[in-house]
Amino acid sequence: MSGDAANLALPLSRLSTGTSEATTLYRELRKPLLRYLVCLGLSSDEAQDVVQDAFLILHRHLASGGSQENIRGWLFRVAHNQARNRQNRYDRNFSAPGDAELQAASHEETPERAVLEKEKFQRLGKAIRLLTASERECLLLRAAGLRYREIGEVLGIATSTVNDTVDRAVKKLAEKCNV
Amino acid sequence: MCEFSERLVAWLDRELSFEEAAEVERHLEGCSECRSGVDAYERASGEFGAYCDEIMESQARRGTTTLVQAAVAVGAMAAIMGLVLALPRTRVEPPAFHRTQAVAAVSRAIVAGGIPAVATPIQRVHRRHPPTPARNQIANSGAAPGQQSYTSPEETAIQIAIPADEMFPPGAVPEGMHFVADLTIAADGSAERLRLSPRLAGIERSTNQP
Repeated sequence: MSGDAANLALPLSRLSTGTSEATTLYRELRKPLLRYLVCLGLSSDEAQDVVQDAFLILHRHLASGGSQENIRGWLFRVAHNQARNRQNRYDRNFSAPGDAELQAASHEETPERAVLEKEKFQRLGKAIRLLTASERECLLLRAAGLRYREIGEVLGIATSTVNDTVDRAVKKLAEKCNV
Repeated sequence: MCEFSERLVAWLDRELSFEEAAEVERHLEGCSECRSGVDAYERASGEFGAYCDEIMESQARRGTTTLVQAAVAVGAMAAIMGLVLALPRTRVEPPAFHRTQAVAAVSRAIVAGGIPAVATPIQRVHRRHPPTPARNQIANSGAAPGQQSYTSPEETAIQIAIPADEMFPPGAVPEGMHFVADLTIAADGSAERLRLSPRLAGIERSTNQP
């Protein structure tokens, strides 16, 4: 998890000018953003739309001389708010056992292992559905590689609250499925 | 709760200086509470990440079903191209065929006169590079029967290779994928039959090795 922490800091010089820098940023953050949005419950099409919008807003933000600090957190916050606006679809992928659990581990080598993996995923899915929305969001943003401080900025809560929330979520997951 | 728990967060985020990080690591060796907390966190976040990946994958799988809808659009496109090809009764000079460009499109007359359709396999061209856009690529195989199809089309089978990235946004389909449309045009110029099959360039390349 903290393995990619070294990549977290986006050198600001990269954002100053030029399209190649913007392309690098897009290439680097597009996938984590998509994953976050899809896991929040958006379809891949909706997620693609939101990511496009977020980068468009970023472009305007930078073009109008907006702050270049913590662009990663900034992009996630924009994407998060856009996802919230599509509230009717929100949380869909976590609200019921999805294809993920039904099809998980289909690539396992032996049937026994596949069954075990599937059971583990189902337990995990059940445990994740029992988390509160903010616990899930904290874990998702953590999985996207954001720091506690950045998560606090995205969700509009204090860093210590993020810490407590992640702790609570981890304990719940550990209790429910011995992960 | 251990007094280090606050600093553990900063340690996990690699926001501590070298000395501070070393201090936290020393503490972790001695404090079982903190160590089990970090272990639980890493296990849970690993599992959680894997679960998210699985959701992503299943979404991508679901996305492939929308290809069927896209195929209908492609079919319409191919039919229009077919009409453009079939309608002129005058001889149409086929564009030059560049083997080096590995053009996938091969057209060939299957039937002449009233003879029932012969199941002549459509000739495949060895493809080294991904095909370039189809509209430039309706090419003749160069064989005599193929040329005949342009002068007097009774019934024509045309195979058109369409790169997937011409039709879908980037990332929607696996890289290197394209579609092959088998289009049969009736004597009146209407599209009689259309079959669309997705192909992966890599797979085709390997099966076509001489």
